[in-house]
Amino acid sequence: MKSDAVPMVRIGGVTKRYGRTLALDAVSFDVAANELFALLGPNGAGKTTLLHILCTILKPDSGTATISGIDVVGRPLLARQNLGVVFQEPSLDDRLTVYENLNFHGLVYGVPAARRKSRIDELLALVELADWRDSLVRTLSSGMKRRLEIARALVHEARVLFLDEPTVGLDAQSRARLWQHVRELRKTRELTVIVTTHYIEEMEGCDRVCIIDKGKILADDAPSTLKTAHGQQLVRIVAIDDAAAGEIVSAYPDLAVRKDADIVIKSSGDAFVEALLARFAGRIRKFSVEEPSLESVFLSLTGRELRDQVAGARERTFQFGKRGGEHTR
Amino acid sequence: MTDLGIGVNGGAAPPHRLAAQFGGLYAIWLREVKRAIRDRGQFIGGVSRPLLWVLILGIGLNPYFRGEIYGEVRFVVPYTYLQFIFPAVIALNIMYTSVQSAVSTIWDREFGFLREILVSPMPRFTILLGKILGGTTVALFHGCLVLALASFADVPIAPGDIALGLGLMFLLAFGLTSLGVVIANRVRSFEGFGVFSNAVILPLYFTSSSIFPLDPSLTSAQTKVVYPEWLVILVQWNPLTYAVDALRGAFIHFHQFDPRLGPIVMVVMAVAFFLIAWRDFQKA
Repeated sequence: MKSDAVPMVRIGGVTKRYGRTLALDAVSFDVAANELFALLGPNGAGKTTLLHILCTILKPDSGTATISGIDVVGRPLLARQNLGVVFQEPSLDDRLTVYENLNFHGLVYGVPAARRKSRIDELLALVELADWRDSLVRTLSSGMKRRLEIARALVHEARVLFLDEPTVGLDAQSRARLWQHVRELRKTRELTVIVTTHYIEEMEGCDRVCIIDKGKILADDAPSTLKTAHGQQLVRIVAIDDAAAGEIVSAYPDLAVRKDADIVIKSSGDAFVEALLARFAGRIRKFSVEEPSLESVFLSLTGRELRDQVAGARERTFQFGKRGGEHTR
Repeated sequence: MTDLGIGVNGGAAPPHRLAAQFGGLYAIWLREVKRAIRDRGQFIGGVSRPLLWVLILGIGLNPYFRGEIYGEVRFVVPYTYLQFIFPAVIALNIMYTSVQSAVSTIWDREFGFLREILVSPMPRFTILLGKILGGTTVALFHGCLVLALASFADVPIAPGDIALGLGLMFLLAFGLTSLGVVIANRVRSFEGFGVFSNAVILPLYFTSSSIFPLDPSLTSAQTKVVYPEWLVILVQWNPLTYAVDALRGAFIHFHQFDPRLGPIVMVVMAVAFFLIAWRDFQKA
């Protein structure tokens, strides 16, 4: 397709500072039309800052950002017609009904009455909230609220959908359902999706993953390419006896790690695995290959684990700033 | 499909179109009104306040509303106290509701809805205008609740008076809702807002010549002998004094000040507070 040549979203050298902290350091990338693009990084990496710049609610210190050719800094009102956002924190009016929230959005975005009505019905069906149409939003579960927010972001036929940590605070079932809805949405229309998350398993279905840390892009490619380039395939073996185990370990002195009967060997690919199997076939009781995960990619790129991080001083500063700084005190 | 094709059926109406502007304004207005209708507490306050002020305070003080001046007992104002206080209670009800409606500004900020509005293609001016018009409508409605007590207070209801009164009430509600938004932008927390709004509403109300007249039959020098000078100055400097005076002019045809002053002060208040609110909102 020819339109793929024109990037739907283009970011060029975007820099943003909060006081002395550099939140974004000359970040550049393109997102093609119809792509499912993920921004992956720990808290405070700059994902949300970047998203807020693209959503025109934050101005970059320098650099350019365009959405389907519209400059988000210079023409924010026009850019907003083309984008839909689901923020990290809920932004529904919980004293209005599901329908009223969607209708409000449609009115504010200037969607004509007839189209608004049909869009709302269609989207409510898609996110399975049609039965809740006239319920007050405060009676919905958090998973339903998220789905409603996604539906709302699309009432005005946005071409780019931004999802900022859409699955945070949801249980596993709601998370899976949410992603299923996003996939269904992308089947029925042309829609570019940019999602930030720190759940690595959610990245696997994305077309492209951009790993960002401390305001810098570390890698930007398809998940499979990233895994090949930075990930590590592991072979786990349980030998039939001690002697066999010793033999296997001594065959790969640099690659194998032995812990009692369990052996873990860093593999260099399928050929390596085949050769290993051919050589020790009779002496292995249990055998498994662990494909490289994005978790290991992140680990090798940053030297840190992605999850279970205690909020550092930097993250706390960001949180403080987000709440409005000193004015909230 | 070409890029252009998606744009035509995918892009919504351009943001500058007048119809879209009105649609957005209507949406924001409607939301404020709907929220107010669903807020029972606000309605109860709007009903109980005039009942207390008109039925209890008004009826209670009615017999005492006369002065003894140089041995001669007469009404200071040629009206009963109920009639005198009635327009002021309208102003009070509007004042409370207007300023309280600005709480929704804090609410929106706290619970994230502000973001949804700020990323919309509506210009900030329209957003603010919609919000303030919404609050104005609710306040105007609460002002009309007081009108239901007109017959209790022996205030005659003439269509012409009501029309003029409603116009003035709208102007007052608009100015005070803008003031509420200005306060809300500076306070930013529910608790602080409650304290602050009470600290603004009641002193403004009490010093607006709402519950006692500055005797028009006395010269200003004489007034200062009867009332301490600081109180007279406070009343004369309080812009609300002239709003209450204008409402009295509309409903009981009684003015303490130049009748032209009321509408002028009210327009200036509405415009000034709205501009300040707009300036704040552009930075938000």
